[in-house]
Amino acid sequence: MSLTGMFFCKTAVRQWVRLNCFKTHGCILQNLRACSSGMSRTDCMGIGRTIKSLHRMLQIRRTLHVTHQAMSTNLLSVEELFRKKSLQQYLKEVETEYRDLLKSVNLPETEQVGEEDMKFKRTRVANLAPLVEQVKNLELKQKEYEETEALLKDEDPEMQELAEIDRNACQEAIQELRQKILSRLIPVEELDESDLVLEVCAGVGGQEAMLFTAEVFDMYQNFAAFQGWLFEVLEYMPSEIGGLRHATASISGPQSYMKMKFEGGVHRVQRVPRTEKQGRMHTSTMTVAILPQPTEITFTINPKDLRIETKRASGAGGQHVNTTDSAVRMVHIPTGVVSECQQERSQLRNREKAMQILRAKLYSLKLEDETSKRYQARKIQIGTKGRSEKIRTYNFSQDRITDHRIGKTLHDVKGFLLGEELLEEMNEALQQFAEQEALMDILKEHTSDD
Amino acid sequence: MEVLIKLNRLGCAVRLHKGAARRQGLHSASGGKDFPPISRLNVQQATVLWEQQFRQCGVPEPYLSSQYIMAHILGAKTMASLDPVIMTKELTDVQTHQFWELCSKRLARMPVQYVIEEWDFRDLTLKMRPPVFIPRPETEELVGLVLAGFQSRQDSTVPGLRCLELCCGSGAISLSLLHSLPQLSAVAVDRSPEAVNLTQENALRLGLQDRLEVRQLDLTVDRAVLLKECGPVNTLVSNPPYLFSQDMASLEPEILRFEDPAALDGGADGLQIIGQILTLAPHLLKNGGLLYLEVDPRHPPVIQQFVEKEKIGLQYLQTNNDITNRPRYCVLQRRGAED
Repeated sequence: MSLTGMFFCKTAVRQWVRLNCFKTHGCILQNLRACSSGMSRTDCMGIGRTIKSLHRMLQIRRTLHVTHQAMSTNLLSVEELFRKKSLQQYLKEVETEYRDLLKSVNLPETEQVGEEDMKFKRTRVANLAPLVEQVKNLELKQKEYEETEALLKDEDPEMQELAEIDRNACQEAIQELRQKILSRLIPVEELDESDLVLEVCAGVGGQEAMLFTAEVFDMYQNFAAFQGWLFEVLEYMPSEIGGLRHATASISGPQSYMKMKFEGGVHRVQRVPRTEKQGRMHTSTMTVAILPQPTEITFTINPKDLRIETKRASGAGGQHVNTTDSAVRMVHIPTGVVSECQQERSQLRNREKAMQILRAKLYSLKLEDETSKRYQARKIQIGTKGRSEKIRTYNFSQDRITDHRIGKTLHDVKGFLLGEELLEEMNEALQQFAEQEALMDILKEHTSDD
Repeated sequence: MEVLIKLNRLGCAVRLHKGAARRQGLHSASGGKDFPPISRLNVQQATVLWEQQFRQCGVPEPYLSSQYIMAHILGAKTMASLDPVIMTKELTDVQTHQFWELCSKRLARMPVQYVIEEWDFRDLTLKMRPPVFIPRPETEELVGLVLAGFQSRQDSTVPGLRCLELCCGSGAISLSLLHSLPQLSAVAVDRSPEAVNLTQENALRLGLQDRLEVRQLDLTVDRAVLLKECGPVNTLVSNPPYLFSQDMASLEPEILRFEDPAALDGGADGLQIIGQILTLAPHLLKNGGLLYLEVDPRHPPVIQQFVEKEKIGLQYLQTNNDITNRPRYCVLQRRGAED
């Protein structure tokens, strides 16, 4: 069977399994790995016909359930990606761009125009150089590989053996180079390096939703400790029975935004609440927002645009009054965005914290304007657009956590809520998926013939 | 049964305490019926009970008062910084007793800061004790202004940088400046022995005593000592008593009954002490040194007029507004022929 034939079988089996899962559990991709490894041992050709009809059904389903579209874009392997014409074409384009830039950068100084322009070109050249180098190496290795192919047909058995060894070495090198090239192609998000403000808010489900919100907030606090990040509570509004209505925290540390950005959205919990007397199962929700924290340099607010409200605004202030109400509320007049802080006993500290929240809120508004078009089609949504989307379910009776964006299920809800290895595992899967989506977007921009 | 006996004893203790409080002049105007009966409650219930009690008796900020006192008893600054689960925990006898005792002080209109004996000022937690003036949030901004001044003039790198605070109260301004500027040394002056002691105590608690000299001096009486021993300095800062005497009577009972009136009353026009500081400043400051004052919003134009007319060697630089946009801070500079 040819490679492409095998490839088709593999995907067909995957899709078949997915569809079956969807039918029986209402959930795609569950236990995909286990099923497909079992299936691949059976004769692929035997189920060919069924697959055809299933494939059609799957397409119908896709149009019906747009939100489940995520499941149809599986993670592709490195080989699969390199087999894409668009990737090959994109790499060629990069090479051409590099050559052109190199020429203009190396022009004698008298012929260069525009200081800024040249600066940009020079950085671009420096950025592209390693990639182009790797692509060249890859081409060389591929040629080498083809040559060994010819040698394999040699009559001398010793020669054959040598060729075999060479070929394996080449293959390894090719694989490694491809991996490197891909990781270079995935665009670096500028924001990934920034700190962030985490905002949690109880959703549907009353006290139970608030209890769950407190648990999720704790989970992120632990996750921050697990990652070695700094976690500072900016605002905390508890409910009467130990739940949490609303809270914000600032998180800073290496890669904090890069990881946390996948947590934004609606989280759903299904369990018998502590408050339930008849033992009925409830479904409640809470919302997580992840706002990148801008630096002082990248984002400034005009103080004239702010209205600051405190308890002391009425009356004489100063020595005339002694209050313990040090809450500060800030309104950004042009946008109407509001932030509040009453976490601290010092009014000044409250003001600083409210400012931090406000800056993060305004910054994400600005970013969303810029990026909403770019990312509209993605399954993993970052920012406000993703906030309304149900991203994850915590089902206590089945002891599972399912992320709906990538259809991944993990078990052990208690362990997951500790905010350690399990959350990290889910996070890595999301990251991989998001990276591939970003790569696909780039390729799509350059070709449409895949 | 055992619990009941314990609770009764607790009740006795509180009744006894009520007696003690009355002797100290702590009793509230409405007499002894204000105390809710003691019973075994959880954190949430006790906090709500006292909040209602405060509300009924017209104590300002009933919710926050009850919250802050409870947080203090549980060893935290705010309830929000505690694990929410604590709300359903039952109070121990000791905690109940302590909570009732502190809340009854609040019921007698003692400021929360005195009840829990501490409060936060900028990044510091300071000890508070009657009758020493409780720092207001406006003064946090005054410190910010002084720090910004140090930074913009790059004074902070000058060796031997010295600052003098007049009317230091709990020491909030000097201690905050010392905390933020490791190369600064300061002198803090107040006429009240209680204030001087508290400033010293706070300096010790914060480990800043080595760079702070605290003096008990009266601006009006000890001028010679002050001029001889406390100058010259790069910066002079003060939050002097600036209330108009006629406004004193309208102050809330929290202030009127518990805070030292001398730390608030600035005379008929609120300028009595400010005037003393203005005439002292040129002799205490190095040439080019700055004077920062927190004042009543009616004061800045009067002060500006005064220094411009009297030509005492001070130049009025600017007026800054507080967070509520009221003219609250005056910045002046010493400009003299000789140094």
